[in-house]
Amino acid sequence: MQRRALKSIAALTASAALFLLTFPLAGQERPAAKSAASPAPKRDLSGVWQFQSGGGAQGLAPEKDMPPMTPWAQARFATEKPGYGSRATTEGNDPILHCDPMGFPRVIFLPTPFEFVAAPGRMLQFFEREHEWRPIWTDGRSLPKDPDPTWYGYAIGHWEGDDTFVVESSGFNDKSWLGATGYPHSEDMRTVERYRRMDHDTIAYDITVYDPTAYTKPIVAPQKTMKLLAKTDEIEELVCVASEEEAFAKKIRIPAVAQPKK
Amino acid sequence: MRNKPAILILVFAAYICACGAVYAHHGNSAYDEARIVTITGTVTEFDFVNPHTQIYLDVKDAKGNVVHWAVESQSPGIMKRNGWSRTSLKPGDQITISLNPAKNGAPVGFSGKKTGKVVFSDGRELMMDER
Repeated sequence: MQRRALKSIAALTASAALFLLTFPLAGQERPAAKSAASPAPKRDLSGVWQFQSGGGAQGLAPEKDMPPMTPWAQARFATEKPGYGSRATTEGNDPILHCDPMGFPRVIFLPTPFEFVAAPGRMLQFFEREHEWRPIWTDGRSLPKDPDPTWYGYAIGHWEGDDTFVVESSGFNDKSWLGATGYPHSEDMRTVERYRRMDHDTIAYDITVYDPTAYTKPIVAPQKTMKLLAKTDEIEELVCVASEEEAFAKKIRIPAVAQPKK
Repeated sequence: MRNKPAILILVFAAYICACGAVYAHHGNSAYDEARIVTITGTVTEFDFVNPHTQIYLDVKDAKGNVVHWAVESQSPGIMKRNGWSRTSLKPGDQITISLNPAKNGAPVGFSGKKTGKVVFSDGRELMMDER
């Protein structure tokens, strides 16, 4: 009996070692468009881009770098129960659990790609997540002075030099979280983004969030990277369907967090 | 029968430092990201739906009891970029799948990102990495 147990342990150890040796190979990054060396086109961001995430919880800025909140935001924050980060709980109330829109800027930091399409007078961002789109007006108009708040806001953009597309946005509602770790923003939020094309396959992405109603200082996100995907990669349809979400919750989400039976 | 390898469940309590957090859309706190479990069984259902693909399979434990596992995976778009389609799995297929198990011990898991993969009976492998 003892010998059998020892054999089993030896077999498991050997299998685990083999598994550990082979696994990193299977998980290697796929190269992007394989053309980083080719020159970057001027004033052109068209293509399917993927935010290089360090994990789904990675959002605007690490929690430790978030500026102090105002009392208004602190009260909101206290009601938020995220599924990620230092306050992660299995009893979360993330708005996306019932298919509320991700909103901007949260949608940018997802592990799903978006596509830039240039059109006369505007640049369009098509997000796989939610099958959502965001027009960025480039015809010289200003941001509206008193916009009706929306999940994705109102955006205008212009080029700085030949490689940097600067986008200013406002007009957001305050219903979305800034990210999966659950930080609020107000309707006064304004954002400035810089998409700098470093080479053919790479965008260096900077975003600053100005929201004095919610934060005592602007949130300056650490620079992030976006990579151009292969031409064969297309934006797929990733919609949140409430009925399917409900079925999923019954079959997986709730059993995964239920208290074990004694 | 006792030695039939097909019903052998290989559970690797391999505590691996996973590269990057698991993104399970609704929060990773339900799953043990530090643990990867590999199970072999028979597919009973494959739901290629948004926002989570789901794989259900019957797995025999060491005593021959059938345990019904429910596995959450990535969105169909991410799966597609990894080579999947709605016909990749059908009931009756024998597969081996690597997953992060639920912390509560239920036969539920998340398979995706760099540590999740399915090995088919003919040796083919498909990942579910974020891309």
